[in-house]
Amino acid sequence: MMQPLLSVRNLTLTYPNGYQALKGISFDVMPGEFLVIIGLSGSGKSTLLRCLNRLLEPTSGSVTFSNHDITHIQGEALREHRARIGMIFQHFNLIPRHSVLKNVLYGALGTTPTLNAMLGRFSDDAMQRAQKALQVVGIPEKADIRADSLSGGQQQRVAIARALMQEPQLLLADEPVASLDPSTSHSVMSYLERINKEMNTTVICNLHFLSLVRQYATRVIALKGGEMVFEGTPQEITDEWFRTIYGDDAVEVEIR
Amino acid sequence: MKRLLAIVIDLLLGAAVGALLASVIVPALLDAGETSDFTAGLYASALGAAVFALAGIAAKASIGGVSLGIDAPEGRSIRIVSHLGWLTLAVFIVGGWIITAISPIEFFSGDGLAGAGRIFQALVTPEFDIIGEALSAMVVTIFTAFMATVIAVPISFVLSFPAARNVMSDTPLTKSIYVVLRIVLNIMRSMEPIIWAIVFSVWVGIGPFAGMLALVVHTVASLTKQYSEQIEDVNSGPIEAISATGASRIQVLWFAIVPQCVIPFLSFTIYRWDINVRMATIIGFVGGGGIGTLLTQYQGLAKYNEVGTLVILITAVVWILDVMSARVREALR
Repeated sequence: MMQPLLSVRNLTLTYPNGYQALKGISFDVMPGEFLVIIGLSGSGKSTLLRCLNRLLEPTSGSVTFSNHDITHIQGEALREHRARIGMIFQHFNLIPRHSVLKNVLYGALGTTPTLNAMLGRFSDDAMQRAQKALQVVGIPEKADIRADSLSGGQQQRVAIARALMQEPQLLLADEPVASLDPSTSHSVMSYLERINKEMNTTVICNLHFLSLVRQYATRVIALKGGEMVFEGTPQEITDEWFRTIYGDDAVEVEIR
Repeated sequence: MKRLLAIVIDLLLGAAVGALLASVIVPALLDAGETSDFTAGLYASALGAAVFALAGIAAKASIGGVSLGIDAPEGRSIRIVSHLGWLTLAVFIVGGWIITAISPIEFFSGDGLAGAGRIFQALVTPEFDIIGEALSAMVVTIFTAFMATVIAVPISFVLSFPAARNVMSDTPLTKSIYVVLRIVLNIMRSMEPIIWAIVFSVWVGIGPFAGMLALVVHTVASLTKQYSEQIEDVNSGPIEAISATGASRIQVLWFAIVPQCVIPFLSFTIYRWDINVRMATIIGFVGGGGIGTLLTQYQGLAKYNEVGTLVILITAVVWILDVMSARVREALR
């Protein structure tokens, strides 16, 4: 039987102000899956994602990645863990005044000695991989342009290229299309799909729109108030489930 | 906590009113001259403090409480608070008038006006023979300010990270470093550069070096505060993104925070140099070298035509730097 890439067990996270964001979440992710997490704003999706690459430290429970318990690792082990997992964000989070190529190179910070990186000395291998990553996301000609002069969709593609620089085993995407228009959304999602299928990178993605979920997800889990209320295939999300997850007044909107 | 502060305000105001009445106003009315009775003043201030505190506690008419917004007196208490308030203001104005020796008679006296005429005339007929000396002193002042800024910038840059709340909020240890650093910087900033100049003119001797050191201390304190506030203001998104690549702490500072701060830091720095030129002039009065020192020398010799030259030069330089730094800062935005 295949080993899960990621195992989450009874995960809870309580913020210092006492707010309980996660209340005992358990699930497994198999290599090659495209797992989508749905739920209302504030349901705990972003917090859950940040526990997986340990931008946040869980309060209790455990996260196991490639058979390593990473729930409470610190220091060098934590850096190495983060370097194995790529992440993209709703607001792209590029470094605004720096060039596109530099932004992509920053994906290699986890494997570049601190001083070399600060002096701008990245290895030849890193330079080549950065160029290649820009080709994968279809904007090699933008390498020398300032990142903040690009459109939203292009910025998200640079962010994807930055994540690819890490040659990640797992790619986390936190609402990657929530600040993009519908056609750009599909373009960004299709890049994630290609990375998932062609490079066999496991993807875990937070999404709002069910139409996107149905098109791209291989499996779905739904959070509500910090608890997992649904796990299954996208086809299994019936109208009844939809109202359970999003509340009785919710109406599904399509994004094409 | 606020209640305690309110009581302290009441006590201080009461003591001040009592002391002013007994030691300043009454002796002046009795024409007792300089001899005011210290013991009487002490008793009076204790009495005043007692009255104000009693009004605050017993009659719920605390000036401190009202001014801090924690008391809302009613009926009789309103009248007591307002009477006490007006009394305090009146005593302060009358006492202040006597203490600062305000005298309209001297302001408009014939001798006084003639003196004013002489000095204004001297100031507007500057003696340009000393222009060479004045210019070289001005150069000293400008470079005192410049070097102080240049030396202070890297120190402030390094200190600004541990002085930023968002950088130091991880552990109790880093939090306490942040708090201690903030307190030290606040104390350093509260001490005027002119006091530092006195300290350093004893330490390294009178001259531009002492003036520059004084400015370095003050500039480090001010720039660190401004820089660190800018760091606290950065967008946290890039910090998350760079952390997520497995970057080290230093790398996160350098690649996620610094790029967001460079332009505002430059702007603060240019403005600080501008301020330092003015401060370097003042510091010259107490032995910091440059044009300030030259000015005190000519003023001491009552050579007001020469003083006029210096005043014109200082005004011109400050004005030009002000305009230039404003333009550059505008362009940086």
